[in-house]
Amino acid sequence: MIEFLRAVKGRAYPRVIGALREPSWMLWDTFLPLLSLSAYVFVYRSLHAPREFEGFVILGGIMTAYWLNVLWGMASQFYWEKETGNLQYYIMAPASLESILAGMALGGMFGTTTRAIGILLLGTWLFKVDMSVTNPYLLLLIFVICLAAMYAMGMMFSSLFLLWGREAWVTSSLFEEPIYFLSGQNFPVKALGPYLSMAASIIPLTLGLDAMRQLIFPSSIKFALMDPYLELLFLSILTIVYLFLAKVFLRKMENIGKTKGTILTRWL
Amino acid sequence: MSRFISTVKTAMWLDYQIASNWTKPLTFFTYNIAKPVGASLLLLAMYYVVTGKIVGSMALSFIYIGNAFYMILGQVMMDLGWLVHEDREHYQTLKYIMISPSSYYSYLIGRSAARFLLSIFPAIFLLLLGFIIHIPYNFNYPLLLFTILFGWIFMVSAGMLLNTITLLTARYGGSIGETFAGIFYLLSGVIFPLSVLPSFLTKFALFLPSTYWFSLIRRSVLGMETDPVLSQLSLQSTLILFAITTAYFITLSLSFYFSMDYLARRRGALEMITTY
Repeated sequence: MIEFLRAVKGRAYPRVIGALREPSWMLWDTFLPLLSLSAYVFVYRSLHAPREFEGFVILGGIMTAYWLNVLWGMASQFYWEKETGNLQYYIMAPASLESILAGMALGGMFGTTTRAIGILLLGTWLFKVDMSVTNPYLLLLIFVICLAAMYAMGMMFSSLFLLWGREAWVTSSLFEEPIYFLSGQNFPVKALGPYLSMAASIIPLTLGLDAMRQLIFPSSIKFALMDPYLELLFLSILTIVYLFLAKVFLRKMENIGKTKGTILTRWL
Repeated sequence: MSRFISTVKTAMWLDYQIASNWTKPLTFFTYNIAKPVGASLLLLAMYYVVTGKIVGSMALSFIYIGNAFYMILGQVMMDLGWLVHEDREHYQTLKYIMISPSSYYSYLIGRSAARFLLSIFPAIFLLLLGFIIHIPYNFNYPLLLFTILFGWIFMVSAGMLLNTITLLTARYGGSIGETFAGIFYLLSGVIFPLSVLPSFLTKFALFLPSTYWFSLIRRSVLGMETDPVLSQLSLQSTLILFAITTAYFITLSLSFYFSMDYLARRRGALEMITTY
């Protein structure tokens, strides 16, 4: 257990340091999402939408930063490490791949949080978004469990993406706009209808956003998919399921690596 | 001239191979349209939650057509942002391309031309989907053809500008491309009228070629311009302003290209590997 935690700390360390090393990167990472986020706010303004809809966009922008980190910093990471020649060191190291992934997740969460805070502060200040949190403890719990489920999903994809080779890159890219739509990034997901929104609930972002919208913008409860406590329960289940699948796929990847010997082959 | 054409053709072929040879052509074309369709559906859903309907208003047509054609601009900008980094650090071929008898500028033109052509397909697909939501098309085909062709020239010049910047940067490849794309998305009246922007941003938007490009797109696809700011301009004025702003973008990109190329060679940055 101590070795596991040491490996987690060791892998999280470069991400934490990397997140703070270059202030211009932080500025860039905050400024960039604000551009598209501002465009969506102006769309709502042009349609004379209620003011809380602009808040939905800010909240969506914050959670999207985490989703992008899950895709590019977790799911694609093993593939990327293979391409840069680091993967063999992870496999040879006297630490489990689970601990490496957990370290990447914790470090990624930290780095993304520094950006997310910037997006939150700048977004609410620029667009004068009025937030009134009704239950801060539940909000915090849902936020944390939502992140856990999202990063567990990222852990699961990391093995699959490694096996898929170059398709990993395009799959990550494909999981951007279509997932923004399915998860209700900027709008109440209930608008997609009961079947599609329920199907989209296997993406933790969908349930997390829906629950947080209700807790931050009480007037949006009429657009809610389900009760936040129920969404918390489903998010917890998703976390366990994705962690279990991550473990299964890691073993599968190791087996394929041993039998076929192609795991470390670059340019595939 | 024949060497230029040959380089452009080869670069276009290379770009298509890099973009697509990870899978079969059908899968690639499905992937190619999935992202733009996802982005359009997101905007349609936003429109639906506010208005309660999904068909038939000029506001919806404005959003839908702007977004469909933005996919060309956005994709070209984002892909070109990575191009130098890919060649220099991932494939490590930049130095060989630089010392080959072909000009690197013509190589970049070829790469961007391929990206541009690949991005046209999703726009066509979205135009077809537009019939389902009753977009009131009123095509002016000669104007549309002219707008798309000259749009390519503007996009190549904008792409060159960001490519030449990335010759000297270690990490910002994707970010610079995304920033260019984001600025054009926000400030060109793509999915909302310019009048919604704060006045100082509206004034800035009038210096961007993309603003006039999207206005010409709406005039050639919908037969009219509904943006309160840009509808005050006649078609001729919009064309002239588009040509002028594109000309200064080309000038800017060429001057940047020569200065950055000189600096990159002086600093030995063509072989830079930052493991990023």
